[in-house]
Amino acid sequence: MAVTANGERSYFDPQVLARLSNLYLKARWVVEGMMSGIHRSRSKGFSVEFEEHREYSPGDEIRRIDWKALGKFDRYFIKETEDETNLRATLILDGSASMDYGSNGVTKFEYASILTASLAYLMLKQQDAAGVATFSDKIESFVPPRARRGYIFEILHALEAHRPAGETNTGKILQEIAGKMNRRGLVILVSDLLDDTEEVLNGLRLFRFSGHDVIVFHVMDSAEIELPFDGNILFEDLEQPDLKVTADPQTIREVYRGVVNEFIDHVRKECHAAMIDYQLVSTTTPLDRALVSYLGWRA
Amino acid sequence: MSLFFLNPLYLFGLLAASLPIIIHLLNRRRIKRIRFPAVKFILLSQKRISRTKRLRHWLLLALRTAAIVVLVFLLARPIFQTGAGLFASGGPSSVALVLDNSLSMTWSRDGEGFKEAKEAAARLFASLGAGDRAALIPTNTGSKEPIRLKREKEVLLRDLEAVKIADGSADFGAALGRAYDVLRAPASGKEIWVVTDAALTDWDRFSLAALKQYDPAVPVKVIKVATKEAPPNAAIREIRLRGQDVNVGLPTEIQAVITNFGATEIKDLLVQLRVDDQPKEQKLVALAPRGEAEANFQFVLTRPGSHTAAVTLKKERLAGSATDYFTLEAEDKVKVFVVDGDPQTSLVASETFFLTRALNPEGGGSSPFVPTVVIPEGFAAAPLDSYQAVVLCNLPTIPDAALPRLKEFVRRGGGLLVFLGDRVQPEDYNRKLYDTSPSILPARLKDKRIVSASALEKVDRIDLKHPALAAFTDPILAESLKSARVAGYYRIDAAGAAPIIALGNGDALAVERKFGFGRVVLVDTAADRDWSDLPVKTAYLPLVQSLVSYLQGGKKGALETGVAVGESKKFSLPAAYVGKNLKIVRPDQREREVALAAEGDKASGAFAENEVAGIYRVSAPLSPDAPAALAPVYPVNPPFLESRMEAISDGELAARLRPARATIVPVEEIAKGGSRSDLALPLLLVLILTLLSEGWLAQRFYG
Repeated sequence: MAVTANGERSYFDPQVLARLSNLYLKARWVVEGMMSGIHRSRSKGFSVEFEEHREYSPGDEIRRIDWKALGKFDRYFIKETEDETNLRATLILDGSASMDYGSNGVTKFEYASILTASLAYLMLKQQDAAGVATFSDKIESFVPPRARRGYIFEILHALEAHRPAGETNTGKILQEIAGKMNRRGLVILVSDLLDDTEEVLNGLRLFRFSGHDVIVFHVMDSAEIELPFDGNILFEDLEQPDLKVTADPQTIREVYRGVVNEFIDHVRKECHAAMIDYQLVSTTTPLDRALVSYLGWRA
Repeated sequence: MSLFFLNPLYLFGLLAASLPIIIHLLNRRRIKRIRFPAVKFILLSQKRISRTKRLRHWLLLALRTAAIVVLVFLLARPIFQTGAGLFASGGPSSVALVLDNSLSMTWSRDGEGFKEAKEAAARLFASLGAGDRAALIPTNTGSKEPIRLKREKEVLLRDLEAVKIADGSADFGAALGRAYDVLRAPASGKEIWVVTDAALTDWDRFSLAALKQYDPAVPVKVIKVATKEAPPNAAIREIRLRGQDVNVGLPTEIQAVITNFGATEIKDLLVQLRVDDQPKEQKLVALAPRGEAEANFQFVLTRPGSHTAAVTLKKERLAGSATDYFTLEAEDKVKVFVVDGDPQTSLVASETFFLTRALNPEGGGSSPFVPTVVIPEGFAAAPLDSYQAVVLCNLPTIPDAALPRLKEFVRRGGGLLVFLGDRVQPEDYNRKLYDTSPSILPARLKDKRIVSASALEKVDRIDLKHPALAAFTDPILAESLKSARVAGYYRIDAAGAAPIIALGNGDALAVERKFGFGRVVLVDTAADRDWSDLPVKTAYLPLVQSLVSYLQGGKKGALETGVAVGESKKFSLPAAYVGKNLKIVRPDQREREVALAAEGDKASGAFAENEVAGIYRVSAPLSPDAPAALAPVYPVNPPFLESRMEAISDGELAARLRPARATIVPVEEIAKGGSRSDLALPLLLVLILTLLSEGWLAQRFYG
């Protein structure tokens, strides 16, 4: 648990964040809290690029009305522009059923959602383009990267609309997303990687071949790592209900930990070989650490 | 070699040994369900779990279970023994040794069984350790001394030497009851040892569970003195009288019924009869396997009173009680004084013709009755002391000279039978025999009644419960009596007394009264055919003989087979003997006394020390007013089935000793000796090693 030196829970404690109902607030809480600890940066000096018109709706800034369009069509249009950026990031969130597991009050999906939202918030705040894709056995939603103001809400809407379900098919999904991306940028995969490891790695390598930078946030619950249970337990798989096994954790714990570490080491090694940035994050890891690892890459 | 426990109740603690397994199984049953994302890693882990690791798990479980088992065994104090195991080396023991000294031990192992049983018991006593105590309990003992556990081997061996074979059956219920009583006090190492031939007769009626007190935790060890090869096995089941009573001068016939208990035929079995210690007769009989045969004897007794007798079987190696004792009470012939009140020159026409023929039908010496007929004049002068009964037949008057002697005769126990007739003067009878105080005659004579031939009275009711008329329970005799027709009789007034025979109109035909120690029966018709056709009826002879026999005291010669060894002999005498003692001399010449106490209108007592087979002699103090009416001898015989050599099976014997834990060992095993070792110390070491191993392995595996 993330606890400050004086014993209080920090802003980045996943359990504290999970109590906040609004994902925007969670992301903002994390990013602003982290940034206040570093320096305040205003995003200036970037040019803007016209993207599209849309009809005015109450609440839009009056200064953004395209008066020329009003002259032509006698209707109010808002001139949507896209901030020019040198980074286009696509955040890919694993929304399969295996992510719906949490042993300490926060599911992996909740943690991953906050992390994704925070990253998107941070990118948009830095005038970078950010988009998001959620998937299980298929792509559930895809929000292409944009650097537009207010775009965070579309991203958050896509994140909030997803409920973890279904089997993972990460390799295939990554290939599909790669097909949708026509410009090089940054791909961030937030997943528990509980799928065919080689297919996942192949998908990630595909991004690399396409010239994308790739960061993998490997989200794991502490119970998945430690297997802290006692007594005889019937383990039922979250994605495949027919997959069941009865085991005494005390007997297999040592071996289990070895298996999990082998798995992590294997993924880490393969990512390193493919020049993919790999970050293992437990659901007990404070969110700021995950963000810091991103900022470290960004720097 | 065997293993037994001094504190077997602790073995219930073995149930606790199942606790680790039960906990293991419960844990397996209490499965939690968890939905988990990384099931594939668990599957992979299980595959990788090595066989060694699983074996470690089971090894620890086995060690924990073993520790509990060893602890329970330690508390139960296991003793390892080789051979039959004697008393020694098992820690301080308290042992009750029950020795079967019943009669059947005489014949076990060809007569050596009892000797071997005592040798086995002596070997056991000799093996007593310093802290051990033992008690000797013979199954058949007349001693009333309390039995206690003793430490002194010499005393126990001396007591053992003194035990002899008894003539009775073994009462294992009583013997084991005494054994449990001896071991009632808290002590360690309690045991009961029973040395027996396991005779079916003795054990068949035993059940440990039926005892009032027993301790199932006390182990019972039976040392079986089994017969090696079945010898000829027969005994006398019954001796019975054939034919009539036992009378002096008349042939007496007895029959001995002999049973073969064995599965082989017994040929040429000699059966001898001795009476009054004199050989009388002997027979050879053959007995089919498990069959019976009868030996009949006939002899003549020359004096009245009691005679001792015995039938003895003789055959080499014969097992079973060879001698059966009995007594004979021979009655002298009954002398009957008959007064003919209407004598005639023609014998047939005389009043007593039919009566004397009924008492002595053949006229020779073959009847138990000897009638003497006199005319009325002879009655006045005749002494009556030598007679047992007087019969008056149509006597007109009672001679005054005879009256006092007649009264004295009846008062002292003589019998008087009065028949009436046409010459009888009723006033004289009433005055001399009824109006006296007390009355001799059972009823006052009233008027004479003569009926016409067309209105003859018939006999209607017979009091079959009356001892004098018991013979008329035979329907032929009863029918014969009821077919008699009465033409004349005296009406009588019996002052409420019920008639023993009554006519169809309700008038009495015969009534009875007691006078002093004697009895009087009045038949209010004639003894000849003048007033009835009764004398020509079949019933007349048994009626007259029964009445005379009853009146003279009902004494009949008899055969007495007595009581079985161990049973009580009961005595019943006139009330005058209350407070007095009977003197009894046993066959072993020991003298005992039996106090007589009031019981109803009798003096009664019982003698229980009938422990030896043979003839017991009884004498009562003289009482001038009341004859003792006591047979001076009675026989005591071993129980018939005690001669049966068949042994109970080991399984059945163990079942009868349940719920105690019974071990049955042949007597030969005792001769081999053996030893016992206390396993407490080795088990303690095993327990320590088990616990240390478990701790070390648990630390190594899971620490």
